[in-house]
Amino acid sequence: MRYHSHMERHDCIIDTLIVLFFAFFFLVSPDPASAHKAIIFAWIDGDTIYTESKFSGGRKVKGGEVIVYNLDGNQLLKGKTNDKGEFSFKVPKKTGMKIVLLAGMGHRGEWTIPLEEIQAVSAGETGTATSKEADVEKSEKQARTAPKSGVSPDEIQMAVENALDKKLKPIMKMLAESREHSPSITEILGGIGYILGLMGIGAYFNYRRKSAGEKHDNADASKK
Amino acid sequence: MHISEGVLSGQVLFSGMVLAAAGTAIGLKRIDYDRIPHTAILSASFFVASLIHVPIGPSSVHLILNGIVGLLLGWGAFPAILVALTLQALLFQFGGITTLGVNTMTMALPAVLCYYLFGSMVHKRNSIALFGSFACGAFSVFLGAIMVGLALVFTEENFFQVSTLLVISHLPVMVIEGIITAFCVTFLKKVQPAMLPGFHE
Repeated sequence: MRYHSHMERHDCIIDTLIVLFFAFFFLVSPDPASAHKAIIFAWIDGDTIYTESKFSGGRKVKGGEVIVYNLDGNQLLKGKTNDKGEFSFKVPKKTGMKIVLLAGMGHRGEWTIPLEEIQAVSAGETGTATSKEADVEKSEKQARTAPKSGVSPDEIQMAVENALDKKLKPIMKMLAESREHSPSITEILGGIGYILGLMGIGAYFNYRRKSAGEKHDNADASKK
Repeated sequence: MHISEGVLSGQVLFSGMVLAAAGTAIGLKRIDYDRIPHTAILSASFFVASLIHVPIGPSSVHLILNGIVGLLLGWGAFPAILVALTLQALLFQFGGITTLGVNTMTMALPAVLCYYLFGSMVHKRNSIALFGSFACGAFSVFLGAIMVGLALVFTEENFFQVSTLLVISHLPVMVIEGIITAFCVTFLKKVQPAMLPGFHE
């Protein structure tokens, strides 16, 4: 379809109007930074792993299937999220884990817990004393401090750990959630920029083709 | 309606890629050089539309706009949607690179079908044009939901269950896109009828 030059100018105005229309739509929409993507977060607390699943619009995934694999891809256990999108399970094995969420309709989310994280937590659980030397040191320390305070260092350690677990739980959750970010304005404008760039490439080839055609036409005319 | 990575089997992904490549090749061949700006602008609209979240209904859904893209571009919808989906996968992590072919098919094929079904209606009487454009916007979303259901047949056993769920959750989107398409067509008919398909001076 060929256009006359005044039509082309008209076209530009229309195109601008369309873009403005969508830009307006996009800006007034109450929740622009959300879309269709399923996300699962997981964090460890004691010997339990908690997971929370949601769509990137903030809706919880209800009744989504959660499958836990070890890092070799063997299935360890399987469960369903509750109405709050949560699912928790005891650490089945001291191994790295890949937690996969299947939210239905082609939505899938994934979260990996590396082996170190699980080891770190389980080490904290059983106390820092793992080797014999540490044991000896510990018992010496105990002997020195216990009679004075009446509370054993072990008990203090336990109390501190419990308190920390409780206080840190929301922070762990927040950290886990903040790893997943919604599209920023930079990314949106960047994407539009790419498309306009592609259009530029197309326009460049169009110009080359047209000017080559004109030269050809001129040559034809002069021959006649 | 983006299908995430790791859900579909290799065969489905591969056939999606082949079909999408074929559609894109046809599309690129058919685009008039002078219409490249139209293609780019509709591609940009499609790219941004997925960020507009519709908070109605049982599931989390967003606008798709494949109806208006198909109506105005015809086969050109394939390259336009492919580019937009690639950027969505890279920048927003919607869908994925391996599922690009399948996702392009599920969105662009309904767009092209609706172009053939409703394209001729837009130049008729106002009421017919209005109905045609509304149906185009709504039906392309409906077909898209069916296509996603088809793609998932091999992984999620029950096609009817998945498709019904998808269609129901996209009902509000269908209505909204029908209205948007009708609005755009009425507007273009008044100011710039040459942009609509099958226009003859």
